[in-house]
Amino acid sequence: MKIGAKLQDKIDLVIILSVIALLIIGIVSIYSATYNHPTAKGNLNKQVFFMMISSLILFAVYFLPARTFRLLALPSYIFSLLILVVVLFFGNTVYGAKSLMSIGSIGFQPSEFAKIGLILFLSYWLTDAKRDINNLKDLFYTVLIGIIPILLILLEPDMGTAIVFAGISLAMIFWSGLNLFGLFVVLSPGIILFASLFGTIPFMVALFLILIVLFYFKQNLFVSGSVFVVNLTAGFIFDLLLNILKPHQIKRLQSFVDPTADPLGAGYNALQAKVAMGSGGLLGKGFLEGNQTQLRFIPEQWTDFIYCVIGEEFGFLGSIIVLAIFLTLFLRLLNLTSVAGDKFGKLTIVGILTLFFIHFTLNIGMNLGITPVIGLPLPFISYGGSSLITNMFLIGVVLNIYKNRKHHV
Amino acid sequence: MTENYFGSALRRRIIFIIIVGMVSVQSFQLVNMQLLESGKYEEKSKDNSIKTFPISAPRGIVFDRNIEILVGNKPSFTLQITPSEYNQSNSKLIESVLNVDSGYINKLFLRYKKFAKFKPITLMKGVDYKIISWLEENHVELSGITYIVETKRDYSFGINAAHVFGYTKEIDRKTLNRNKDKYSIGDNIGFGGIEKKYEEYLRGKKGEEYFVVNSRQRIVSRYDKGKSDIQAIKGNDLVLTLDYETQKISEELMRNYKGAVVALNPTNGEILSFVSAPQYDLSDFAGVTSIAVWDSLLNDKNKPLFNRGTISMYPPGSTYKMLVAMAAIEEGIIKPSYEVNCKGGLQLGNRFFKCTHFHGKVNLKEAIEESCNTYFYKLIRKVGIDNLSKYSKKFHLGEKTQIDLSPESEGLIPSIEYYDKVLGKGKLTDGYLLNLSIGQGEIITTPVQLAQYIALIANSGVTKVPHFAKGYIESSSNEFIPFEFDSVKAEISKKSFKLIQDAMKGVVNSEKGTASGIKLKDILISGKTGTAQNPHGEDHSIFVAYAPSENPEIAVAVIIENIGYGSTFAAPVAQKIIATYLNREKRKMDLFNFNTKVPN
Repeated sequence: MKIGAKLQDKIDLVIILSVIALLIIGIVSIYSATYNHPTAKGNLNKQVFFMMISSLILFAVYFLPARTFRLLALPSYIFSLLILVVVLFFGNTVYGAKSLMSIGSIGFQPSEFAKIGLILFLSYWLTDAKRDINNLKDLFYTVLIGIIPILLILLEPDMGTAIVFAGISLAMIFWSGLNLFGLFVVLSPGIILFASLFGTIPFMVALFLILIVLFYFKQNLFVSGSVFVVNLTAGFIFDLLLNILKPHQIKRLQSFVDPTADPLGAGYNALQAKVAMGSGGLLGKGFLEGNQTQLRFIPEQWTDFIYCVIGEEFGFLGSIIVLAIFLTLFLRLLNLTSVAGDKFGKLTIVGILTLFFIHFTLNIGMNLGITPVIGLPLPFISYGGSSLITNMFLIGVVLNIYKNRKHHV
Repeated sequence: MTENYFGSALRRRIIFIIIVGMVSVQSFQLVNMQLLESGKYEEKSKDNSIKTFPISAPRGIVFDRNIEILVGNKPSFTLQITPSEYNQSNSKLIESVLNVDSGYINKLFLRYKKFAKFKPITLMKGVDYKIISWLEENHVELSGITYIVETKRDYSFGINAAHVFGYTKEIDRKTLNRNKDKYSIGDNIGFGGIEKKYEEYLRGKKGEEYFVVNSRQRIVSRYDKGKSDIQAIKGNDLVLTLDYETQKISEELMRNYKGAVVALNPTNGEILSFVSAPQYDLSDFAGVTSIAVWDSLLNDKNKPLFNRGTISMYPPGSTYKMLVAMAAIEEGIIKPSYEVNCKGGLQLGNRFFKCTHFHGKVNLKEAIEESCNTYFYKLIRKVGIDNLSKYSKKFHLGEKTQIDLSPESEGLIPSIEYYDKVLGKGKLTDGYLLNLSIGQGEIITTPVQLAQYIALIANSGVTKVPHFAKGYIESSSNEFIPFEFDSVKAEISKKSFKLIQDAMKGVVNSEKGTASGIKLKDILISGKTGTAQNPHGEDHSIFVAYAPSENPEIAVAVIIENIGYGSTFAAPVAQKIIATYLNREKRKMDLFNFNTKVPN
């Protein structure tokens, strides 16, 4: 126990053990998902290699001086925007999105690494003593910091990652103490976007509701007017957005509403994933025994649909254990926000928590058929080098903050 | 929200609730899917990965009454093509080997565009064995081309009997929609003849093979090592009443004629031979029937597709005279000794009704033997139309026999109601009656009706519905199960039957009998000639007969279209059929003697 307590003082055991558990589950699942696959067998070795690399990165980050992240905040954000622009011109197209950069034989996803830049820079920006988030001008700049990379990612277009970026920004702004009107200003264009997805009449109704809320807040005419105009514009931007979205993405959105309508088309994956999950039952069909997985009913199951490998072969027991480990990780991260030594550290942890949580929510939700099919990897479990390295880097940041919790920088 | 500051407790709580709430929703869904509804998903997962392939069942064999094969089965190769595995560059080669137009395969793909690419589609049925060997040798280069072995009908056993057997062909969409539980696309179904009538017995039961397939529908392995497969059950073999030799000789005798032969056992209605001539060659219908064959059959002015035995209606001619005679005797209108002096015909008003000869004084028996029209012209005026209707009905003329072959025509025996309708009330004159008395005019019957009529006379008023099927051999138990058929009766006195039977014996055996030319030494045949005038040319030659005269075993009706006298053409045909059938025991004896004759 004594050694445990000593170790706990240096490194947060809950975080590190949760991550190790998820990594092991990931390796087992990828092994099963690629076991019977003629072309994907090498993915397991690649993933083990990425795990070793990313572990080294984690420890390197862990040992960095605490102030490094502040210093890196602006450069890493600018670098992120740069690579997001570069990928639009020189990137390779994967699943209809121009999201992959290749250097030699190694491919990586700039949008994964850009997450680090966004979190660090937003943290740095929002915890600056001069900033007042409830000042509309400051709010505007903050939103702008979030919006720029989102627009670049939408141009790829990568819907899932854009949602992650939006979520991270929103959560960090929220944590910074944005008041109700501010929240309304930030959220209302989103509501308008969502409403106009369902046609002109819902769009008009939403616009009308926003008008009523604006009267309720009794802000001056200029502010109210600007907010209204922003909302109106948002509605029209949606038309543009529909043009930007690739046909397969629109189909995915539609197929979420009724996946059975086109069982061999866009809804196919969602349906097969549900069948795999459901047929697992309480204890599952056994390791390498899942017929949905082994007969390859779900394409590229080692990436976004990895959770239903667990669901099919290890059943309810396996699936609920994964949920429990994630829950433990999330609640510990939330807990660490009060342990962190300064606002920058706290807010960075909020950003990292949000990143993991959105990935988790959309990935598991898609496997369970409760959210649309939006391609996002399950942190630490899905196959993928860029995402693993980014996630491990961020865990390194969290552990660094934990290590330095007693020092005020 | 009042706590508008960094990391307030309220905001922390909201984030906590969101996290715990989301995990709860997911856990709830897990419970729902994996514990409560897992059965439903398990079913779907099985459906997903197990594909069922039908195994076609061979149809039952068709035997004659002595279990000689009439219709058998032989293997048929069906080429299939699986678009997802097929290499389009092979099309030219394959099209030339199959001898089809170039672009045939491409057209096929277009037609099945909406079908799954991994499902095999039928490329060609009834492919020659040589092509299959070629395919086997080159299967590596010809990926996506496969074949399945089915069975098709084999008609090489010496009997054609096209109108009796009918044929099988691919089920049409309409029939398929009505019988979705029994058939699927591409199945063969009996079409016409006994293949259709006894489809239920002949078709058998398809089996099923189960395979485990992956998401691209490629077969990975047999499911359950084939233990769960359901074997196909062969159809039941059908035993017909036909007699191989009798049928064969009947077909040969009618080869150059148009017309029909119906021979049956008068005691039980079992049909011994049945020919509608001209026939069509059934072997053209075993596999896929070419359009050229169809066109030539449809355009043939002799209408070979038409079943003359059950559908065509002919005037019965003088064979109807027995009925007029029986009506007169039964009703007590005349005595058998009643005589008429035939002077070559009868003058009625300003019209002279001709007889065939100048017969002089004839009684009833002589009138039938010599087929004297004058006698019956006189007789009919006493008998009247109503008695004709009454006795025609008794002998089931002008109504369907309910033979187990469809379609069947009714024929027509004109009644007073019929003439009132056609001519106007009370307009029926004796002129019409005179024609009727010799089986001419408006009266028409089918050959099978005539055969049944003769059977009733031969067996003194009792027989059974004419039929082809004796029973079937159940394929699972190998047990013979006979079919039952209704009795058919003609209720008149034995005395009247005796009188007519004597007269018919005289037709063949007396010196002046019209069919004395076919008299045989060893077999006593009774018969009646008929020569039916018709607007299409020469007279139809008709002969009805039964034999042996005492305890008859065969009754036969022969009609040959547009050729001349009944005694000249139809009678010899009937004679040979009768002799062939009745000599069957002798045939067997010959066989027996041959086997025992051991050279010294």
